[in-house]
Amino acid sequence: MLQDYRNPWLYRGMWVYLLLLVGALLLPVFYTIYISFNEHGFGAQIYDFTWDWYRVMLGNTQIIDSLRWTLGLGAATVAIAVPMGLIAAKHYKRTRHKLVLVTLMLAPLFVPADILGSALLVYFKNLNRACNWLADTLGLEWIRTWFELGFGTALVGQVLWTVPYAFIVILITMSRYHAQQTEAARSCGATGWQAFWRVEFPQIRVGVASASAFVFILSFNEYTRTNLLKGGFDTFTTVLISHMFNTGMSEDSYAMAGTVSVISMLVVGGVLVWSLARVERLEREARAAATPLGSA
Amino acid sequence: MGGVPVAAGSWRRRVFGEEGLVRYVFLLPAAFMVLCFAVPVGLTLVWSVFKRTQFWMEPGLTLFAYETFFTSARAENFAYAMVHAAIAVVVSFLLGFPIAVFVRRRVPVSIQHRVILLFILPFMISELIRVFALRPVLARHGLVNEFLLQLGVIDEPISAILFTPLGVIIGDVMSFLPFMVFSGFLAMEAVQRYVFEVCDDLGAGALHTFKDVILPLAAPGIFAGSVFIFVNGLGVGLIPNILGGPGAVNAGSIVFESIVALDFPLAMAISAIMIVTLVALLWIGHWLFDLTRVLEPIS
Amino acid sequence: MSGNSELAVETLELGRRYGRVTALEGVNLRVTKGSYFVLLGPSGGGKTTLLRLIGGLVRPSAGRVRLHGRDVTDLPANERPTTMVFQSYALFPHMSVARNVGFGLALRRVAKREVRERVDRMLDLVGLTGYQERMPHELSGGQQQRVQLARSLVLDRDVLLLDEPLAALDEKLRKEMCFELKRIQEQVGITFIHVTHNQEEAMTVADRIAIIASGRLIEEGSSREIYEHPARRFTAEFIGETKIFEGTVEAADGARARVDIGIGVIEVGNRDANVRVRDAVSISIRSELLELLAPDETASAAMQSVPATYEKTIYLGLTSSHRVRLPDGAEVGVRRFSGARGTARIEPGAQVRLAWHMEDARLHTS
Repeated sequence: MLQDYRNPWLYRGMWVYLLLLVGALLLPVFYTIYISFNEHGFGAQIYDFTWDWYRVMLGNTQIIDSLRWTLGLGAATVAIAVPMGLIAAKHYKRTRHKLVLVTLMLAPLFVPADILGSALLVYFKNLNRACNWLADTLGLEWIRTWFELGFGTALVGQVLWTVPYAFIVILITMSRYHAQQTEAARSCGATGWQAFWRVEFPQIRVGVASASAFVFILSFNEYTRTNLLKGGFDTFTTVLISHMFNTGMSEDSYAMAGTVSVISMLVVGGVLVWSLARVERLEREARAAATPLGSA
Repeated sequence: MGGVPVAAGSWRRRVFGEEGLVRYVFLLPAAFMVLCFAVPVGLTLVWSVFKRTQFWMEPGLTLFAYETFFTSARAENFAYAMVHAAIAVVVSFLLGFPIAVFVRRRVPVSIQHRVILLFILPFMISELIRVFALRPVLARHGLVNEFLLQLGVIDEPISAILFTPLGVIIGDVMSFLPFMVFSGFLAMEAVQRYVFEVCDDLGAGALHTFKDVILPLAAPGIFAGSVFIFVNGLGVGLIPNILGGPGAVNAGSIVFESIVALDFPLAMAISAIMIVTLVALLWIGHWLFDLTRVLEPIS
Repeated sequence: MSGNSELAVETLELGRRYGRVTALEGVNLRVTKGSYFVLLGPSGGGKTTLLRLIGGLVRPSAGRVRLHGRDVTDLPANERPTTMVFQSYALFPHMSVARNVGFGLALRRVAKREVRERVDRMLDLVGLTGYQERMPHELSGGQQQRVQLARSLVLDRDVLLLDEPLAALDEKLRKEMCFELKRIQEQVGITFIHVTHNQEEAMTVADRIAIIASGRLIEEGSSREIYEHPARRFTAEFIGETKIFEGTVEAADGARARVDIGIGVIEVGNRDANVRVRDAVSISIRSELLELLAPDETASAAMQSVPATYEKTIYLGLTSSHRVRLPDGAEVGVRRFSGARGTARIEPGAQVRLAWHMEDARLHTS
């Protein structure tokens, strides 16, 4: 191996740099969590550990209320974005218009939050006016509130934001699936549905589960689009930001930021560890396959 | 030799069979993206030439919003924001791309993905929280200053980080650097490892290998990552809002402020400028490098 | 719409295009019930497409497919009386061997106990008794193919399709599996249609062979017919090692033709091809049916010969190839068992004659 002749210190140095970079990216988050447990808050010379700021946070009904909206919005986003990503990934495998589909599915990644959020806002306001006009002139009362800003419009914003991630994660998992197994199932008498549910889905379940976790966390963390499209209610992040802009950095906003980070890290970290453990198992199996137990 | 399973009823095949109605379900995601993404985004161009009214806008054909934008200080601020975003792109490339190359070339194949996944963790924690969290880190009595003071590198806390363009650039890099690592790695993944062994075998120096082999092969990934960082650096309004000084703006924050001020045509005009910039960049990139190559490993 | 029910498979002008590429065109194939039928041909020739058209995994763009006289062209794979064994990666990796084999039965809601019994019986048949609880990754390549075979056979379908089932196995295992397949087919008695590009594999298992190339059915016959009496030049060239002469007919009657091949004029039997004067033809002779005559030997009356220069002998183990060069520059190999005597003492550069019995040469017009 040519690698054996390389400078080992350069190799180690790159590893150190890589880990330092990840550490640096995470540092502010950990620092925030650290401050959130200090009785004296940011900038104090002394550090006394306390849960007080979290207690203050949990005592705030506005925050608890917003948490409920956040979870509801997150669940709804997962329920829509993940199946949509799955269907799109299935479609991608069969369609001849791959470039069009992939552009359409990934484009929202490239449009910044404020831009997409305000375009959607103006779009929904226009649709809302149109619906109101139809309700007034044609007496179609039931369509009056279809596009009123609220849960539905915020949901559209969040689905647009999360669907590219769901699509990519599921597509990557699918690339490890051999389509021949679907054909085998079909030739054993399975319908298209049965082949999908009994053979393909169990093998891409990890991807679907990770996609769900990622989508939930992305939804949980989203601020700009939700803030523009939410109408009347508040989510955890919109409360946090309005706190910050109105009252500056109070100690309980550190606790809120800490909460968001810890939940995100637990979910994402959990998914990573779980899926890596699975990959590990699959690789062990692959190695076992290379040295069969019995001979033919 | 019974053989044939009972044939399903023909209505079921018409609905659920390969050529049944159910296949139209596959068009739903694309239809959703067209109706809720492509159409509103495209319509920004139309709305940007509407007339502003007190609380809303009315159909018309006027370039008033563009005039407002280009003749005010906003255009100048926008230009600065572009420069800051471009610097963030360069810094992210310098910091992040070597990681992608290193992982692809030197790290054993079996753990490459795991190493790259390390960057998912910071990426998945809200950019909002991470930007927010930079404040105590960069502040006058923040972590960086305290640390440097302890070391004795400086005598006075540096106050020129937070609330300056530097703060904004740091915020951009901290927020978007992982994307450069991902897209760089994805592009490098399309490069077979033997290519590097051939380079070593032929005795190509590090510089030549980089310039003649890695750069051309990874160009689509680098470009995709750069466009992402540039457009988001220009478009995510929170970063200058939280880290920039008074008057620090970018396209995103101008749009948001215009919405708050109920100047919808102006917001749409700036959005339209951003969208056109984005489409132009992606189109140029696609024309130059064929961006579909970035996706090769997964299809 | 009913066709001949003695035929397991019948295709009528079957074709498939992918965009502008034609994968298969105008194939009329007839497979008798209970036979072991092999589709043999070079890679990319369309034989796998044909198999998938029969199995319902691909929809034809032209023509019809009949199975046991019933038109199934519009039915998907799961509604056809066929089942398929794939090259590899086709076992369900998340299911045990028993669940893999019982998959099709479970879909039909067969009672659990019956599933178990039938699975056990099938594993017995393919020689994997006691492997029920193994996972696919714990099996060798050969064992995985046996499980696939069991998974298909347990369904009691009328036609078993095998798509390069042995291609991923090593040489020795492949030979073993060939005999296994043949034995199993004789035991269960259903129709097997087997796709391969490997001639030896085809010869070992086949009752009948169809040659498929360039998206067409070239010719069809028993193994012996295909090898010894190929009608088409392509078949002669594709199977075994063959010398082809190109030439023009000088004279012909119902029994013989005289053909000018540039380096001489030779006679060849004309009963099957029935060529006429001035036809452009080719003549094929298997390399093991060629002989070398030393300059002092004379050919017998029944033999044809052309002058040649001896070059060298290449040792191939069981056989050796004696290489000679013809006056037109072409190189020809003459195959003999390595132990055989007679030609070994010729000096390189010596003038010899390349000879063959007239009845061993085949005349082809296409």
